[in-house]
Amino acid sequence: MTRMLSFTPEVFFSLFEQYNRAIWPGQFLAYALGFIALLLVFRPFPQRDRIIGAVLAAGWLWIGIVYHYLYFTQINFVAPVFAVLFVLQGLLFAWTLALRGQAAFRFQPDVFGWTGVAFAVFAMVVYPLHGWVAGHAWPRSPVFGLTPCPTTIFTWGMLLLTQGRTPIHLTVIPLVWSVIGGSAAWLLAVPEDASLPVAAVIACVLIVWKNRLARREALA
Amino acid sequence: MQDIGPKLNRRVFLGSLGAVAATAGMPASLRAQSGSILTRAIPATGERIPAIGMGTWITFNVGRDQKRRAQRVKVLQTFFDLGGGMIDSSPMYGSSEEVVGHCLERISNKGSLFSATKVWTLLRALGVRQMNASRELWGVERFDLMQIHNMLDWSAHIETLKEWKAQGRIRYIGMTTSHGGRHDALAKAMAEQPLDAVQFTYNILDREAERRLLPLAAERKLAVVINRPFRQGALIDSVKRHKLPEWAGEIDCANWAQFLLKFIVSHPAVTCAIPATSRVDHMRENMGALHGRLPDEAMRRRMIRHVEAL
Repeated sequence: MTRMLSFTPEVFFSLFEQYNRAIWPGQFLAYALGFIALLLVFRPFPQRDRIIGAVLAAGWLWIGIVYHYLYFTQINFVAPVFAVLFVLQGLLFAWTLALRGQAAFRFQPDVFGWTGVAFAVFAMVVYPLHGWVAGHAWPRSPVFGLTPCPTTIFTWGMLLLTQGRTPIHLTVIPLVWSVIGGSAAWLLAVPEDASLPVAAVIACVLIVWKNRLARREALA
Repeated sequence: MQDIGPKLNRRVFLGSLGAVAATAGMPASLRAQSGSILTRAIPATGERIPAIGMGTWITFNVGRDQKRRAQRVKVLQTFFDLGGGMIDSSPMYGSSEEVVGHCLERISNKGSLFSATKVWTLLRALGVRQMNASRELWGVERFDLMQIHNMLDWSAHIETLKEWKAQGRIRYIGMTTSHGGRHDALAKAMAEQPLDAVQFTYNILDREAERRLLPLAAERKLAVVINRPFRQGALIDSVKRHKLPEWAGEIDCANWAQFLLKFIVSHPAVTCAIPATSRVDHMRENMGALHGRLPDEAMRRRMIRHVEAL
């Protein structure tokens, strides 16, 4: 299967090593921002919805420009397309959430809230542990907030934590990436990435359900 | 005897052989050797190049990993030490062109280099830009062979390549495909365009090219570069589980790589096969196919039957 790509899994993980070493200690900042975003879902804070939106926007923009365009392009001729997708999603988050404040992030003790929190915690904690067990621990591992797959899982979690209707246009690119990134589980022997399409399917079903409930409540 | 079907029959094989002999003005010998290694003539000029070259798909795409780059220097050094000539790459192969350039810069005995790369983009202007970038990446003054990769926007690029060849900026013009479904389009271009070389897939299991492309190349006096000689490694991984037949010694094959490569380069219309590897020991195996006897038609049939029965 790996012969379908222009690079080997060894070179792919080597790229993560170069990237992680080059941006060190940015990983701490990424985790801090992710933790703050998750915390703000539980605690009132001025402009918290815009702050969460800005965190999501910053993550997607960074990954598009730095990871995809400056690093992944070295070995993958399709990476510039991925860069465009991530930058576009970053701009959508910036416009919809950070600038216009069109969504409110609140934890509700229901299936959407618990699943959202579970996805966010999974992306930050379980995903890297799975990679460690699979044999590509730090620095040869994709890191939350700075690489596409764990960040997309976190994004699904945050989208489930929006109060009321989740803006559908914010789900399109994460869904596309969940298919592309999920293929890495098989093409590049990254077993933890198999969780990405699973998270996408669960999130999409729940978002459709949540949006229908929101519409009924609005009509009632 | 097992019927191996129309993909390789006496008429096609002898037809190709005769066409090459007639068009190249050479005796119909399968053992066209120069010095101690097997070489083949580029029909357009008669220039002889080693019949085993090197591809770079996947194997040289190592990015900025210095450890792997240093290892590829050793691979390429071995290639030249053993008489290698053609290196084939493409802008599509990630960092491969840059890594080839990195390696060439560190190798002294590269006088036999026959540089071959591709243009792979839409639009003529972007093609010019891409080919200039490739030259910078390789660190060469000009490419020996510039090919239109998978025929992408070939009608635009062929005009540039004709001009560049006339100006001496490239020496030969080629066109490639690695998709069986594009054989018809490639055959049409071979018949109508001023090409010097074509590149397509041919190996002991994928012999569709014997039916049309190889005889046509011989008829049109085109050099033939063969990609995917090991089916991107899957073929050799598969046969290596079995013992090399003792009779492989009759054609001086010491390993499966030589067995599979000698099958390819013994076809009279083939100029050069370009296996890719990231390992020095595999490079040595591959380059061993430049030595010793080549199979005749009867032996080629036997080789096919043997591999198909594995």
